[in-house]
Amino acid sequence: MRKFSRRAAIGLVATGLVLSGCGRDAGTSADKAKDVGAGKISGTVTVWAMGTEGEQLGAFAKEFEAANPGVKVVVTPMGFDVAHDKIISAIAGGATPDISMIGSTWMGELAKTGAVEPTPSNLIDKSAFFPGSWETVLSGGTAYGVPWYVETRAFYYRKDLADKAKVKAPTTWEETQSFASAVKAKAGASQGVYQNFRVGSWQEVVPLVWQAGGEIVEGNKWTFDTPQMVSALTQFQSFYKKGTAPNKVAEGAFPQNFIKGEAAAFYSGPWMIYGLDKDGGAGFDQKYDVAPYPKGSAGGTSLMGGGDLVVFKKSKNRDAAWRFIQWLSDPKTQVKWFQTTKGLPAVQSAWQDPALTSDKRVAVFGEVLKTAKTPPPYSTWEQVARVLEGEIQKVALLKTSPAEAAKVMQQKADDIGTGL
Amino acid sequence: MVRKAVLYVLLTLGLGVVVTPFGWAVLSSFKPEQEIRQSPPTFLPERPTLDGYRALLDQMDLFIVFLNSVVVAGVIVAANILFCSMVAYALTKLPFRARNIVFALVMVQMMVPGIVLMIPQFVVVANLGLVNTIFGIVLPYLVMPLGIFLMRQFMAEIPDELVHAARIDGAGEFRIFFRIVMPLCKPALATLGLITFLTAWNNFLWPAVVAQTQDRYTLPVALAIFSNHQTSQYGLLLAGAVVVVAPVLILFLALQRFFIEGIASTGIK
Repeated sequence: MRKFSRRAAIGLVATGLVLSGCGRDAGTSADKAKDVGAGKISGTVTVWAMGTEGEQLGAFAKEFEAANPGVKVVVTPMGFDVAHDKIISAIAGGATPDISMIGSTWMGELAKTGAVEPTPSNLIDKSAFFPGSWETVLSGGTAYGVPWYVETRAFYYRKDLADKAKVKAPTTWEETQSFASAVKAKAGASQGVYQNFRVGSWQEVVPLVWQAGGEIVEGNKWTFDTPQMVSALTQFQSFYKKGTAPNKVAEGAFPQNFIKGEAAAFYSGPWMIYGLDKDGGAGFDQKYDVAPYPKGSAGGTSLMGGGDLVVFKKSKNRDAAWRFIQWLSDPKTQVKWFQTTKGLPAVQSAWQDPALTSDKRVAVFGEVLKTAKTPPPYSTWEQVARVLEGEIQKVALLKTSPAEAAKVMQQKADDIGTGL
Repeated sequence: MVRKAVLYVLLTLGLGVVVTPFGWAVLSSFKPEQEIRQSPPTFLPERPTLDGYRALLDQMDLFIVFLNSVVVAGVIVAANILFCSMVAYALTKLPFRARNIVFALVMVQMMVPGIVLMIPQFVVVANLGLVNTIFGIVLPYLVMPLGIFLMRQFMAEIPDELVHAARIDGAGEFRIFFRIVMPLCKPALATLGLITFLTAWNNFLWPAVVAQTQDRYTLPVALAIFSNHQTSQYGLLLAGAVVVVAPVLILFLALQRFFIEGIASTGIK
């Protein structure tokens, strides 16, 4: 999710070129998924993956190779910043690997290039995945890949400070505000609750819209100028108005402000558990806890992200590629993958394994995932996200009103369109 | 006297501003991960360690990657020194009708942002079957327009009489080019070499797109794998940054004299 939120403008230039200049056949519903045979597979499967996943997958795949003699999995790790451009270029040049990991918001764009294969339903059972994560592989109703791992956001808070202020983890929007006031007044948390209002800030606000019962898109139209968006932004801004969320801290202040106890809470994904345990020093894991999103009038829907896997139509080893993906989405493999990289399983049944239930903080994310949703897989989403961030920052700095911001978001997003 | 003192104070401050972050990066490459992320940050390593460098050696094939970088930069520098000079020679010393049009076309290329050309260039490279080859990585950079401009400006200053005299003595164009003009261009060539080296050495996007297996990665491309938003390994990255910067620094110190001369005499910047 956060991993994929930053995409350079150059990516958009490149995308535009591929989509317009090279005039490929659009991936429409005419794409029919072909079955994958159950016979013996062999040969090389080339896989591209980003960051930690790319570093670890090569060694991890040895088990698959052992179970399928004659198959070799060759993994090329790539940096996050270049992954999108690399994949788009490879599609334009017809030089794609067999499999690639992609960001969970890229599917709309990739399906449109017509370069990725529909998911064979005889191999992959969609009901095994979290509904929200399956959404990320859909484009125009057709599935073009498989969710690999997921991320979602929850509420991190300092247990010690909450105890000192005699408050519990908030379960509603109202309680969040009183929680922030209490820790600020009684536990010395001068910044209250930290809310990100810079790059990636749409991730703070979009869940609030859902929690207020709104949608950001309906019938292929952006819906930002809605009462629910206004109420989400009002909730977001109320912390800055009351001084219970910091809007004057430097960009790099987080997460040190949480570790020092200046901020008593923030919203983020599972990766922060490992970051905090590492940066906080010995015993810090006893000082904080994770709770589900505080609920708005329509519930506590969170935002889901993660990584998906796609097979390219030009793959020279299609059957082996899909069988490798099938193996990766096996519940047992998903648990092992979690133990290797901390990437949360996209397959629901994997969450019953003790590896995931034993750490209560991790288990919270498993609960949150059941209702979490994703941003729409439109090719213009990243552009629209930048628009949202611009307005959210103004809201946080109290330079605009929620109603005005919602209006501007709508207007600018309509200018950009959904790319459909 | 006072003015000089003020000047030195200002220069020292400027130097401090430029060098401090760099110095911090070098020093931090010897700190353990936790100390790098510590707030407030430390300047000198409190617990010096070579963990960053060890991780660098363990987690990537530093030798291959470094070698790729050296080969890519070396080929690009050599090609630019030869080809840009040749074009510049033609543009200044060989009278032909469309000379100014050709020069204008070169200049136009300088105006086009490289990123716009990336996908078309990749398609060409892919059709030539050069994806995932070192040659594919260097191909678009063999003759850079800036280099042509630089060399043309410099060669225009070399008196045509020298060339005429050599022609009268029966020297061919190649002989004149290699024996008379090129030796006179040393300062400009040093500048050209350094600029192209920097471009090639630091180039990220194109090599990252063309190289499809790790054994073709250059240094910046390989290091980018370790830069995630949540789980960056700063020790490794800073150690890698030192490895990336060290050759540039050494090269600059070695060529400094020529570099300044070259820039001063071509009137760029």
